[in-house]
Amino acid sequence: MNRSHLPARPPRPRRTTARAALLAGVLLAAGACGLDGAPDGGETRRTGKASGEITFRTLQLKPTYTAYVQGVVDAFEAEHPGVRVRWEDVPGGGYNEKLVADAQAGALPDVVNLNTDSFQLLADRGLLADVAALDPGAAKEYIPGAWEQFKLPGRGDSVFAYPWYVTPEILTYNQELFRASGLDPDRPPTTVEQFFDHADRIAERSGGRYAAFMADPKGRLPGDWQKMGVPILNAARDRFAFDTPEAVAWVERMKSLYAKGAMPKESLLTSDDVNQLYGSGKLVFGPGSPGFVRDIKQNAPQVYADTRVAGAVTGRLGHIGIYAQSLGIRKSTRHPDAAIAFARWVTNGPNQVEFSRNATVYPSSAQGLADPRFADRGDGRDADTVARAVGAEQLKTAALDANTPVEWTNQVGDAVVREVQKAIKGEQDAATAVRRAQEEADKLLADAARR
Amino acid sequence: MTRGSRRPAGPRTAGAAARGPLHRRWWSPYLFLAPGLAAVALFGLWPFANTVVLSFTDARILTGGGFVGLGNYRRALADPDFWTAAGNSVLYLLVVVPCLVLLPLALAVLVQARVPGIGFFRSAYYTPVIASAVVVGLVWQWVLRSDGLVNTVFLRLRIVSEPVPFLTDSTMLLVSAMLVTVWKGLGYYMVFYLAALGNVPASLHEAAALDGAGPVRRFVHITVPQVKPMMLLVGTLSAVSALRVFTEVYILGGESGGPGGGARTLPFLIRQVGLGFAGETGYASAISLLLFLLTLAFSLLGRRLARGDET
Repeated sequence: MNRSHLPARPPRPRRTTARAALLAGVLLAAGACGLDGAPDGGETRRTGKASGEITFRTLQLKPTYTAYVQGVVDAFEAEHPGVRVRWEDVPGGGYNEKLVADAQAGALPDVVNLNTDSFQLLADRGLLADVAALDPGAAKEYIPGAWEQFKLPGRGDSVFAYPWYVTPEILTYNQELFRASGLDPDRPPTTVEQFFDHADRIAERSGGRYAAFMADPKGRLPGDWQKMGVPILNAARDRFAFDTPEAVAWVERMKSLYAKGAMPKESLLTSDDVNQLYGSGKLVFGPGSPGFVRDIKQNAPQVYADTRVAGAVTGRLGHIGIYAQSLGIRKSTRHPDAAIAFARWVTNGPNQVEFSRNATVYPSSAQGLADPRFADRGDGRDADTVARAVGAEQLKTAALDANTPVEWTNQVGDAVVREVQKAIKGEQDAATAVRRAQEEADKLLADAARR
Repeated sequence: MTRGSRRPAGPRTAGAAARGPLHRRWWSPYLFLAPGLAAVALFGLWPFANTVVLSFTDARILTGGGFVGLGNYRRALADPDFWTAAGNSVLYLLVVVPCLVLLPLALAVLVQARVPGIGFFRSAYYTPVIASAVVVGLVWQWVLRSDGLVNTVFLRLRIVSEPVPFLTDSTMLLVSAMLVTVWKGLGYYMVFYLAALGNVPASLHEAAALDGAGPVRRFVHITVPQVKPMMLLVGTLSAVSALRVFTEVYILGGESGGPGGGARTLPFLIRQVGLGFAGETGYASAISLLLFLLTLAFSLLGRRLARGDET
């Protein structure tokens, strides 16, 4: 091709400049897209007037609870004419990732539904407002165990989210399989050690026809250790401290029970469908959640008839686990009064009681939990009704587990689980597993601290 | 003479007018390429460049990161988990690639025959290809569990006295995952070979048959040399796929990747390192780059073999 007719090329220096500009743009964009994620900063100050438009994000409540949530939002707007609430619901898959992306972009919603993981990470990084400081009268409105869940170690009395709906741990078991194993259904285990004793008996008597519980250490740790009084971290919270004789004994018990067939073999590694196993009569202990009882009621009526409910297995400290959803307030929200008023509204007694009628959840509000429906045991035979009463009773009275420490990250959990799995499989001894697990966990903690 | 009279204006002007106004612009081809190039740059080059940059930082999901030079690479090379995962990935490749080069060829030769009902078999072998890897993994999980189909049959026939730990032993888990990969890939590569076999001149087989060559000799001396370029292509493609294996190990062995993570492959490790709020994006990027280099090395090896074959 004859190029003589083409327009003259730009002089070379200009092309170099253009390239440099392009490169600079790329590098700047690289910075913007992950190299220097700027967290949402700023202080929250109340003005005393609830007004403005706020965003409210929930975790997978549409479409099942659309009517309920929209009703709560509409009622709030009617009560507070100066406030407009923009409700957005995000599916469970990738919820945390979306929060991360929003936090990096400084675009967290004003009021955001947080699960345990997202709460700890966002609060720990200073992205959530201290609602105890902003709203001093709030504490007395909630059950103490739930309110305490949203404190962070080393942050004094600060509370970084309003407790919303909660689920306490309970014990569910198949009484027929209890009897078949020579166990008394009226005397279920109450401590981790007794739970293992029961599993031992079940493994001896079942002949492989059914198992006691799921092996998956990720589902049991660090909860079991916390219940047994094993310290997870040292006082300075700069090293893990779970390498104790109690933790080693726990691993040894798990190893022995696994070898005896007290757990389905694959449950050590994969998240088997526990509902299916329990619903087909192949598992004695179901997961400790009231929602599970309702699932079994709907999907396996025959096994449901044999299902019993009792208080959660505890330990030396008498603690039980509690799973709580919360409402965090974005620290840099432009409308703190509106956000706080709305979060208080969503979590008030009547609204939470109404929510619990739609879902298998419990109110975190003291007034809500005092509702008579939570004390009703019926005739004591319907496991679903009893579960509700047992759960509520525990929420009122039992000491509740503090959250899994922030330092117990996914990576730490994975590292510990990997070492424990090897021990349960018999590939290394229990003491070595716990020692290595702590070394790995310490290494990860030190790496995180260096950054 | 004026400037205008010196230019050979007549023919050029007429030609340009005939081609239309866009052809007079030097940049018009680039205009058509621009959307495609933009998409490639945005979704291909940019993430790759970002991964390279991140691999030299200690970035995390929420906290960003600073430049750490070759720190992540040094860490990876000193990390036993990295070597376990790299070893598993290479082992995966060494076992799976020969199977996926040879077995689909044998299958293609079998289903190439024009007999009634052969279409059913061709479709049947192809079905796993279109099934989702997750579904395939779940089906095989049910088959290989300690109380699954295979173990039940083995125990009933008294071939074994204890269930075989297909999914709970790291080595067995890796072998099981390889089995699933090969099973799922058979039909896919069979189609490649069917296309190649269709191009083998029938006269070669007829001549060999006249000379008294049996089916095995005809296969070894005629079919194999004729489809060798396709075998090299299949080898390269399956090697790249083998190095990217994740789903099979995850579905069969759970999120820890076998007991103690002993069956983790490199993509598995990348996910584990980089995922979650505490995910180490920088370190995961460095491992990704090392996986990329490993894949590139095997791809170049494949090309070299192919070139050697041509010469």
